[in-house]
Amino acid sequence: MSILAYNGGAMVAMKGDQCVAIAADRRFGVQAQTISTNFEKIFNMGPHLYCGLPGLATDTQTVMEKLKFRKNLYELKENRMMSPKVFASMLSNMLYEKRFGPFFVEPVVAGLMPKTYEPYICNMDLIGCINAPDDFVVGGTASAQLYGMCEALWQPNLGPDDLFETASQALINAFDRDAISGWGATVYIIEKDKITVRNLKTRMD
Amino acid sequence: MYQLYFNLCMHIFFISICSPSGKLVQIEYALAAVAAGAPSVGIKASNGVVIATENKHKSILYDEHSVHKVEMITNHIGMVYSGMGPDYRLLVKQARKMAQQYYLVYKEPIPTVQLVQRVATVMQEYTQSGGVRPFGVSLLICGWDTDRPYLFQCDPSGAYFAWKATAMGKNYINGKTFLEKRYSEDLELDDAVHTAILTLKESFEGQMTADNIEVGICDASGFKRLDPSTVKDYLANIP
Amino acid sequence: MSLLERPYYPDYSSAPIQHQFSPYADNGGSVVAIAGDDFVVIAADTRLSTGFSIYTREQKKLFPLSDGTILGCAGCWCDTLTLTRILKSRMQMYQHEHNKTMSTTACAQMLSTLLYYKRFFPYYISNVLVGFDTEGKGCVFSYDPIGHCEKTKYKAGGSAGALLQPLLDNQIAHTNLDKVPKEPLTVEKALALLKDVFISAAERDIYTGDNVLINIVTKDGIKEEHFDLRKD
Repeated sequence: MSILAYNGGAMVAMKGDQCVAIAADRRFGVQAQTISTNFEKIFNMGPHLYCGLPGLATDTQTVMEKLKFRKNLYELKENRMMSPKVFASMLSNMLYEKRFGPFFVEPVVAGLMPKTYEPYICNMDLIGCINAPDDFVVGGTASAQLYGMCEALWQPNLGPDDLFETASQALINAFDRDAISGWGATVYIIEKDKITVRNLKTRMD
Repeated sequence: MYQLYFNLCMHIFFISICSPSGKLVQIEYALAAVAAGAPSVGIKASNGVVIATENKHKSILYDEHSVHKVEMITNHIGMVYSGMGPDYRLLVKQARKMAQQYYLVYKEPIPTVQLVQRVATVMQEYTQSGGVRPFGVSLLICGWDTDRPYLFQCDPSGAYFAWKATAMGKNYINGKTFLEKRYSEDLELDDAVHTAILTLKESFEGQMTADNIEVGICDASGFKRLDPSTVKDYLANIP
Repeated sequence: MSLLERPYYPDYSSAPIQHQFSPYADNGGSVVAIAGDDFVVIAADTRLSTGFSIYTREQKKLFPLSDGTILGCAGCWCDTLTLTRILKSRMQMYQHEHNKTMSTTACAQMLSTLLYYKRFFPYYISNVLVGFDTEGKGCVFSYDPIGHCEKTKYKAGGSAGALLQPLLDNQIAHTNLDKVPKEPLTVEKALALLKDVFISAAERDIYTGDNVLINIVTKDGIKEEHFDLRKD
């Protein structure tokens, strides 16, 4: 079985009208055995910037620490916040440095660009190939299910409330059909002057 | 001049040493090499920034417009120097490389301040490392980021300064005094080019032509070295 | 050039060469079935492909086994051909022996048995069988390649099965919804949903596309419908 599917996990990010959503499940397991149901895979990287790291849990945490390190150094050196686009490029570059011994994560980045507050989302493969579409991105072991859900549910210019409902429904119904993700979900809605975090109750089997 | 500077550095070849007064004499020598070098000026305008320098040739046989003193570092950053040409070219090469490395990581053009900081770091390293001597140049680095112009001077010590307008090289004190009298905050780029040429003219020996000065401008559309015909047009307006 | 550096021609080498033959092919395709109280609809795309190439854009993958029973197949096309041929003859034998048409439930059980019969060299097919159960209500039977059979109300199988199943859960079984609509599923709603899910599948699954053939089964018989999908 793939190392990427050792711990399980599902993640999705969506663009809305002047807002973005990023959501993930909360399971941490070892193959079929669930160890905990409060595992964070989405990390705050700035006032309007979140990064999700589905994949091998140890790499999720290692990559998160390395990202914070590089981002903090950048912000001290340049005396300005890191934009989601720059953050994604930096992450992509970091992953490619380990081209032949990669970190087993498939990152999802979501945020608003500084000043313009234009929504930005992207995901990449484990060696940093960026994909930044204008609808939604998915990651983790339930990605096939998520593609099916998002392709049907997503529509352009959703407001924050509708975006929350769409992202939540897409995620929950997708991971209910994946044996190694689920057990609760966290949804972040990022707006210009508000970040909403909701922990969702889902079926726990 | 190169030989002179080299000889001065020779007697303390491998390590940098402080004199009893606390000065690093090698840096003093480097600054002397700069002060003896060809003059260059830089002026920030409201909508851009200009850098200019003298590029005089000793012989009429010299093929001008082949080797340049004003160089582009990235689309939005340019550079010129006073001092020693070979040292400058090494710094240009390093600066270009650092700019591209930054772009490779962040997919965003390097901010001028960042480039200046990094070039200055390189220059500082050459004041403290074994087996090397400091660079015999001062740099003028001009750039345009997002919405405003920048002008920096970078010295052999690794010290750097942000200027509204400045002059370096031979007769730089006169040049600066001239600029202090001429400078105003709401200068347009065209006027700034005019003033830059006038500043060079202050200490210029002989006839100034489009073949013996070099001018570079940087604005929202990026950096470019003016071609001789454009410089000639500016010279036509000089009394 | 020394003698040791002679070029190597595998045909003239005496070393043993291992050849391999794979008895299976994945020809893609998706099947979706939805059952209501007095109807059942089944649909399959019409693309037949292997890897990055398309064999045909108009391959029917729905097989009427009787007036009220239809089988949809996706996966290895050669296995589909064989399995459906055997099924058809078994249907006819049943008709001759019992002097009646085989019921959908009996057909479902027979299919399971046929599949399990080849437990160690399975038919590599995603099967979805639709018809009416003993109470006369629409029903869907879905299978794994070795004969596991499950009776459900809806099923997405084939190459886009994983993409579409959670969507059907949400839209038909109303999973994870606060407000569950009370009114029963209509043919119109089922058809609209069917179109939506196939359009979604064609966006992301390269083995699903070209056209969709729908069979609508009611007490009155079978009605056929088509609609276009993206062809790239």
